[in-house]
Amino acid sequence: MSLLKKIYGWIDVRIGAGELVEKELTGYLLPRNINVWYSMGSILLVIFSLQVVTGIMLLVYYVPDADKAFHSVTHIMNNVPFGWLIRLCHAVGSNMMVLILLFHMLSVLFMGSYKSPREMNWLSGFILFNLVLAVSLTGYLLPWSQLSFWATTVATNSVGAIPYVGEFLVEFLRGGKLVGPATLGRFFAMHVLIIPLTIAAVVGAHLFFLQRTGVSTPPFGLTDSRNRWQEDNYRYESHPGGIPFFPNYALQDMTSIAVYFAFFLGVVFFAPYIFFPADAFVPANPFQTPDHIKPEWYFLANYQTLKIFPSEFLGLAVQGAAMTFLALLPFIDRGVEKHPLKRPLFMVCAIGGILLYLALMIWGHYS
Amino acid sequence: MVVKERRTFLGVCLGALFAAGAGAIAYPVFRYLAPRHEAGNNSKVEIPESELTAGNAKYFEYQGKAAVLIRRNNGALVALSAVCTHLGCVVQWQKEKEEFLCPCHAGLFTADGTVISGPPPKPLEKLSFVVANGKVIIG
Repeated sequence: MSLLKKIYGWIDVRIGAGELVEKELTGYLLPRNINVWYSMGSILLVIFSLQVVTGIMLLVYYVPDADKAFHSVTHIMNNVPFGWLIRLCHAVGSNMMVLILLFHMLSVLFMGSYKSPREMNWLSGFILFNLVLAVSLTGYLLPWSQLSFWATTVATNSVGAIPYVGEFLVEFLRGGKLVGPATLGRFFAMHVLIIPLTIAAVVGAHLFFLQRTGVSTPPFGLTDSRNRWQEDNYRYESHPGGIPFFPNYALQDMTSIAVYFAFFLGVVFFAPYIFFPADAFVPANPFQTPDHIKPEWYFLANYQTLKIFPSEFLGLAVQGAAMTFLALLPFIDRGVEKHPLKRPLFMVCAIGGILLYLALMIWGHYS
Repeated sequence: MVVKERRTFLGVCLGALFAAGAGAIAYPVFRYLAPRHEAGNNSKVEIPESELTAGNAKYFEYQGKAAVLIRRNNGALVALSAVCTHLGCVVQWQKEKEEFLCPCHAGLFTADGTVISGPPPKPLEKLSFVVANGKVIIG
């Protein structure tokens, strides 16, 4: 008996490791028609972990002080060995996290996995989407460049359109009338501690809901792709005769993660500056607004929507309504059919929505 | 047999691949976190002679460590490492007695760094210096 087997045996008789492996890995059966889109969640977990690790490493050299922040970031990029790699992994990783999260949400939408009894999975996922946007926005300010400073000024300013409390909220967010050292302090605290901890907690809830309800069956390749769940009593959606999570689907997860890393590292090494406009390399100057200041790509649609509407409040209200609709989708769409091609109204709305989002994004970029 | 050999071979290849991957991650992480030795920085320290009156000491950083320059009452200049040879505390100049006292464990040194009493196992390290154009150049 090898040493590893001896150690495993020693642990097994104490905590029943074998039983746990059987229940959660080898005996955890997934639908036979499961596809690659089900591995987006695993990729996101890897990205989030990498963001935490690179973020902690950046904290070793980063100084959250308005007079020193920009210099500390340029020091990391230019002087610290491999500092550029750690920082680029963190900056590119944040963009990738939003991108893969969008893919994850789209796959859930098209496969009808958000439908009952998975309303709580969808809601927790939707909250995670907003938290990821928030962690990206707060992190954007930390390098204290012209880009960070003015993008944050514009982003925080849009909250001011909310009637009655808008002005107070803007000041509360900024810690003063204008973006300044006080804003850096509170954004730093939110970025490094408050939001990541909340994300970790909501990820835990998201996985708990998944574990309790069971993995949804993809609608593809089935003669009957209707949702069979009835709201009578709790039942776990098992998949008898399905494929085991380990090693079968774990291998798919590993493959997807490897493909993701190829793409991610390709951007980090060969095109990292697609996410860094020229203003990202100039220290913040509160008295000089640069020309054509634009937010990150994932806020471009919101930015353009605000520009289209004559009233800022109306622009904000339309976005709020769209986000509320998306959050409450499982409660609005109660149809039993899951196959996207058998849901014409959904397909028209979804493709129309995606095209509108992309059009606004491109318009925002070139406007 | 052939299958088993192939499996072993593939297993070894996979292990090597993982080891290379782990190395590719560990090396940048180690270099990122490792302390940096800036060559040439602080190699020479200049202190104006006028800053040192008789019986006084001037503390400064030399090659990343605390150092001290004293002018004794007889006018002689002494440059020493200020790091106690016992446990690394910085020794303090006792102007009246012309001695160095380490406050951590009461190690006592003469003005030229020789151990008088206490636990320090070695004298304070002497630093070379020259005096030119009204400046004391250490290193």
